[in-house]
Formats: sequence, C-alpha cells, structure tokens
Amino acid sequence: MIRFITRRLAQALPTVLLIFALSFFLLKLAPGDMAAVMAGESGGGSAEYVQNLREQYGLERPMILQLFSYLKNVATLNLGYSYRQNMPVFDLIMSRLGPTALLMLTSFAVSILAGVALGIAAARNVNRPVDRVISVISTLGYATPLFWVGLMLILLFSITFRQLPTSGMENVAAFNEGFARVKDIAWHLVLPVVSLSLFYTAVYTRLMRASLLEQSKMNYVVTAEAKGLAPRKVMYGHVLRNALLPILTMAGVQIGSMLGGSIIIESVFGWPGMGLLAYEALFARDLNLLMGILIVSSVMVILINIAVDVLYAVVDPRIQLN
Amino acid sequence: MKPESHSPLPPTLPAPDFGVTDRRQVLKALAGVTSALVAGVGLGEAASAQETKTVVALVQPDVATLAGYMTSAVATCLVSTKIYDGLLEYDFGLKPVPSLAESWEISRDGLTVTFKLRKGVTFHDGKSFTSADVQFSIMEVLKKNHPRGSINFKEVTAVDAPDDLTAVFKLAKPAPYMLMALSGYEAPMVPKHLFVGTDIRSNQQANAPVGTGPFKFREWRRGQFVRLDKNEKYWQPGLPKVDRVVFRYIPDAGTRTAALESGEVQVGGFGAVYYSDVRYLKKLPNIAVTEKGYEMISPIVEAHFNTKRAPFDQVKVRQAISYALDRQFIIDNIWFGFGKVATGPMSSNFAVSGLYTSDVHNYNVPDRIEIAKKLLDEAGFPSNKDGVRFQMTIDPTPYGEEWRRFGEYVIEALRAIGIQAKMRYEDVPTWLKRTYTDYDFDLMLSWVSNLADPVIGMHREYHSNSIKPGAVFVNATRWSTPETDALMDHAANEPDPAKRGELYHQFQKLVVEAAPTVWIMELAFSTVTTKGIKDAVVSPLGLYGNFAKLGIG
Repeated sequence: MIRFITRRLAQALPTVLLIFALSFFLLKLAPGDMAAVMAGESGGGSAEYVQNLREQYGLERPMILQLFSYLKNVATLNLGYSYRQNMPVFDLIMSRLGPTALLMLTSFAVSILAGVALGIAAARNVNRPVDRVISVISTLGYATPLFWVGLMLILLFSITFRQLPTSGMENVAAFNEGFARVKDIAWHLVLPVVSLSLFYTAVYTRLMRASLLEQSKMNYVVTAEAKGLAPRKVMYGHVLRNALLPILTMAGVQIGSMLGGSIIIESVFGWPGMGLLAYEALFARDLNLLMGILIVSSVMVILINIAVDVLYAVVDPRIQLN
Repeated sequence: MKPESHSPLPPTLPAPDFGVTDRRQVLKALAGVTSALVAGVGLGEAASAQETKTVVALVQPDVATLAGYMTSAVATCLVSTKIYDGLLEYDFGLKPVPSLAESWEISRDGLTVTFKLRKGVTFHDGKSFTSADVQFSIMEVLKKNHPRGSINFKEVTAVDAPDDLTAVFKLAKPAPYMLMALSGYEAPMVPKHLFVGTDIRSNQQANAPVGTGPFKFREWRRGQFVRLDKNEKYWQPGLPKVDRVVFRYIPDAGTRTAALESGEVQVGGFGAVYYSDVRYLKKLPNIAVTEKGYEMISPIVEAHFNTKRAPFDQVKVRQAISYALDRQFIIDNIWFGFGKVATGPMSSNFAVSGLYTSDVHNYNVPDRIEIAKKLLDEAGFPSNKDGVRFQMTIDPTPYGEEWRRFGEYVIEALRAIGIQAKMRYEDVPTWLKRTYTDYDFDLMLSWVSNLADPVIGMHREYHSNSIKPGAVFVNATRWSTPETDALMDHAANEPDPAKRGELYHQFQKLVVEAAPTVWIMELAFSTVTTKGIKDAVVSPLGLYGNFAKLGIG
C-alpha cells in the first residue's frame, strides 16, 4: 500500500506542473490586467497611478520571466502575494478553506446519508408509490436551480417565519464567543446546507437506487436467497456492500470538486468560501491568487483520488492495489 | 468612476448573477405574500446586541483593502471614511465646514491656504494629530499614491508646518477645487509616524488602519465583514452615538434585500440594493429610503463615441445619434425611474455653486427622430435598399444587468434612424482594455462621476491631456479642442466663483454642441435604512460621511 501511494504521488507531480503551466498561460491570455481593474474600481485615476501599479506588480516584465519567478516561488511552497488584497495568497486561501470545508463536508455527509437511505427505500419498493414519490422528489431536487432554492428558503424561513438568518456565517452584530458561537454558526449553516444537500441527495438517491436494482439481479443474490437467507440479510449483508462502490466513486469525484466551493450557494448565502474567492480573483485579474487557488484545488483533487483508490481496496477485498 | 457609483454592482466584479430576472420576478411575486405576513409579525428585531448599540451596514462589493489613502473604490471608502477624518467636511450647499481644521484662510492671490488645526485631536494609537501629519498625508501619501491625488493637489508645491496646529498650503496657481477635495473620502489624514520610512504602497496600515475618526478598526474577516468600534476619545464630545459599526458583505443582491427586510442589516446604499428592490422595500413600513447624500458623487450615465473612427468623427453623425436616444424612456424603463435627464457633461448638482447651466443645445425634442434622419442624410449616409445607413457595435460597461438592457434599447433606437447595431458584452478587465487602452469601439455605454468639483470629475473626460491609453475613466472619446481645453484650464485656476461659472457655462455649450458623448441621465442612488436608524446621511457625501452622528433606536 505504501508503495502504491508513493508511486501515485510521484505520478502526480508532473500532472500538477502541467496544470500549473497551462493555467498560467491561459490566464495570461485573458485581456486586461489587475492594474486597470484597480484603477477602474477607484473610478479612474491618473496615468501615473496606473503605471505605478503596473510596475509594482511586475506586470511589465516578459511573461516567461513572470512564469519562472512564479515557478521558483511555488517550488519553495511560496504561493506569492495578492497585491490587491495586501496579503499572502496562502493565508487568503487558508482563511477560506475552513468555511468551505465546514459547509461542504456537512452537506456531503447529509446528502450521502439521505441519498443512500432514500435510494434503498426506493429500490426496495420499486415501482410502488414510495418509489414514485422518491423519484419525483429527487428529479425536482436535481433540476431546481440552486439559487432559486436558496432564495425561496430565505424568503420562507428568514423573512416570513423569522426563524433563521438570511446569510453569513455568524451573527456579526453579537460577536458570540465559545459555545454560543458554535451554536450560532450551526444556525447559520442550516439553510446553505439544506440547499446544497438537496441537489447532492438527488444525485445519490438516483445512483443508489439504480445500483441496488442492478446488483439485485446478480447470481450471488439468487444463491443467497436459495440458501434461505432472509431478504433483509441479503440486502444489507450482500447487495448493499456491492452497490456502494459506484457511490464511492461518485463521492470521490464530488468531494474534490466541492472543496473548490460553490459560487452559487456562497453568493446567495454570503458564505465566505473558496468559490467566491476564485470568482472575484478572476474578475479582478488577481492572477497570483487565482493560480494559488488552482494549485491548492488540483493538489486536493489528486490526494482525494488516491485516498478513494485506497478505500476501494478496503471496501472490496477483491481489488488489489498495484 | 465607476465604483463610486456604480450601480448595481460596482466594481470589479459583476456579482455572480444567475438568472437575475427570474429571481427578481420570483421575489416580487412573493413580496405581496410576505409583506402581508410580515406586517403581522412585528418587524425588525434588528440584530443589534442588547446593550451595545450596533449598526450593520452593507458593503458592496467585497472590501479588497482598507487603504482609503490609495484607492477610491466604493467598498474601501465606505469603511475607511469612518476611520479617517479629513481636514474639512461639506454641507448640502457644497460649502466646506470645519472638521480636523477649525478654520482656514485663503490669501488674496489664492496662492496660500492656511489651516488652523483642532487642538487635542489624537490618533487611535494615542499619538497627537499635528500639522506634520497634514504635511506628510498630502505631500507623501495622497499626492503620490491616491488615484486622484495628482489632480486634487496638482498645484500644491509644499505644505509648511510653522507650528503644531498650523498647516500652510503653498500653491503654484490658485486651485479653488482643492478646497472641495479635503474630506475624509477624498483626502484622509493618516498618521505620519506609522508611515514614515516605510513603503507606503505595501504598508500594513492597509489591513489595520489607524486614523483620527469616530470609529477604530477592530477586526476584518475577509469575505464576511469589517468591524469598527467606537473611538472613546473622539474629539467631538458625545459622538459617535453608536458603539459599533459592522460592514457586511453579501454577494447576492436578492439576499441583500432580504437581509434589510429581516432587519439583519440596517443600512445599504451605493447600488447595494437593486433599483427594482428599492421600489419594493420603499413600500414596507419598517424601511426608509432617501436619494440624498450623493451630491458630491453625481454620476452621469453616458454613451461615448470613438471620435477618431469614421463615421463618428463627423459631428452630424454624433448629433444624430444624440437625438435618437429617448432619455426619459431609459430612465423610466431601464433604471426604474431613478434618475433625471442629463443636459450635458456637468451634473445639475452644481447649480448651487453656479457652475451648471441648462442653457445648451437640447437633443430631447419632440421631432428628434426626423432631425436625426436629416442629419444622417446630410452627413452622407443615405439608407440602402434594406433601409440601413451603416452598421456599428455597442459596448456597454459590464457592471450589471441594466447596462445590457440599456444596450438593447440603444440598438432598437438606432434601428429607428436606419443604423444597424449589435452589442458586445465582455467582462470588466476586457472591456476596460478595449475602451481605455485599445480604443477599439464605436459607442460605449458607461457612467462617470462628476465628484466634488468639475476639475476632479469632469475635466478628465474632455481635456486633451487626459487622452492617455491605459488610464481608465478618462477621455476615451479622444475628442478635444484647443478652445475647450483653454476654458477648462482657466476655470481650474479661477478663484472668483462667478467668473468660474461663466467659463464653465461656455464650456458646456461648446461640448454639448460637439456631442462627443450622449449624456443620458443623472443617476440617482438610494440609501436604504431600517426603522430606528437616524442620520445615516448628513452631508452631500452620504455614506462616505464618518457616521459620527449615526444613531439607532
């Protein structure tokens, strides 16, 4: 297993470098630069002002030199500095990683539990009313735009019933501390998690149902039933374990992309996550920051993929690493 | 400026907009239902903590830096103006009133301005505020680093500090506009001892500013909020009235409206609330709306021609298009009525200081379509067999949905006079490069603010020395004449207000006749507050004021 992980990590290195070089040039192809954007935000500014900014940010140097100095920094684990935000890129990313992880992992847990449960319920009642109702709900959850769900939840729970906060991660008028703060954050987490989970739950429900139905037609199920095992035992002891593999694959893919944040949910609920950070960096042409986010995200996707591969072997002993 | 004004969303980033229209319609449809329910529920338990008087205000877009001394971005200045005071403030008659300077005197030749500073003012770190700080702020910080510093303080050759409480500005030429540029927004006074000997652009004051203002910086969580606490030692006794001001960033416009409606947020302005939502909120019993407090911003919605590109180098073509656009229609249907027809390059807000005139060529006449067609015929652009005279491209500024709709309207309006137009809608950096660096456009739609004085906000659009590729929101039409340049130069250094007004009247007539730009409307921003909030807007700088008098409950 150690050998497997080492090999995969070694393979990942050129991948990351490639991603890095490609994104660097792609981003540089975008017209306009940060100096102009910052002057624009200031409502203009003299030519000297813009020129000063360009020089300070090194935007005047040849692109290949910019790439090399950047690569050198990254090699020493220095992601550079965001001049626009006056902060090291690494610190900026770390400050957003926590909120993103909190939101995403909670939604992930909720949706995978709910999805698997609903999928099982649907599969066990296939083509009966329960299955139909679940199918309709999951189709709706899958097809409804996230921002719409978010705004409707705000309208209902924050404005009409006045029970939950509209947005943000905590109450910025009260500045709670200790346990009160934990409770406050949990309270703020409800609506974004519900909105986001609605979508992922739908995905897992459909996947789980299909996977269970497919497995239940397998020969080993006939064998198990023939030897007189109770249907529950067949379901939970055999079918379910096999049916979980596709869920695991999906979860691996999803958790990687989730850590990149969800621009829509972060925007609607004012959640300070990575998605918005990247979005804003793009429109401000804050390339140092954007590259930093791309590097961190790609490294996380690669690490999670390796972890999922290892998990396969744990869930299904037939799979051999190597 | 853009940002200063900005409409729906300012600055840099177009806030993520996922199907704005539907969303707004949905909100509106439900508005009736909710407001009925809300009315019964007892509104606005403002989220304020019990004993601490806290006001939560919206900041839009997100704050990128708190360095109000080297950017004039909306988000930065909404916050930094509470931390930094300026030498002066202004009243609604656009006259300076004392702030850090108790009094000031202008020499007869206009070349010396002497400020007497207030005694006993301290920075938030306890050090005294003196004339050395004024000298340093103007000469080292603002003049060299503020986006407008080199304009505002162009004539200032030195600031002398004969004693701790006297600052003497030495000018090369009289500069009446400079006295309009000394607010905490335009010229914040920064502490010399925290800047001297450092690189001002990378000084960490940008993340944790120290000023003399009514509020002290306390905490900034990026992407969420900036928290300011009361300055207990503020020089004005009894002020500030509230203990804490928190500026919150909520990216989504629909959510911002909901947060105001629920009382979680109590103040929002500068386009943080969509025009359509302002109309909706206005009807709620727990909300107050005012359009005051933008008199020193004065944004004007404009359409700029590329006057170096045929056929827009011909004045008749530019005039024809000026006639073709129905200003009132644009105000009513695209900006939900939040505006007033513009007559020319200067906002009517300058009527109080005698600089503005409406006595200029009027393009807003009943038979304007006929006149436009005739002008195009005369310019040598007859219709071809399909009724088309020529084709062109419209580049709206990508700062929000209404600009796209404005572009769509322009296309229709031009069709009526036989011009076939198409629209190009790009992202902000691309658009800035196209319009202000490459000059690769026919007609671009944007808005520019007049700010505190025509020298600061208006000259940049029309003076030949503002034709500088790469600098943004300057003269992109590249139109200028020696005559108008001379009028502006003269007015800039004319100390007599009456003579100055005369020069600007002449200037307005000439520019409007030449039509390098179509002036559409004076854009009106709204400040929305929840019930219980008092005195959020007390001067023409509105939310760029210092909030010392802001009250709650």
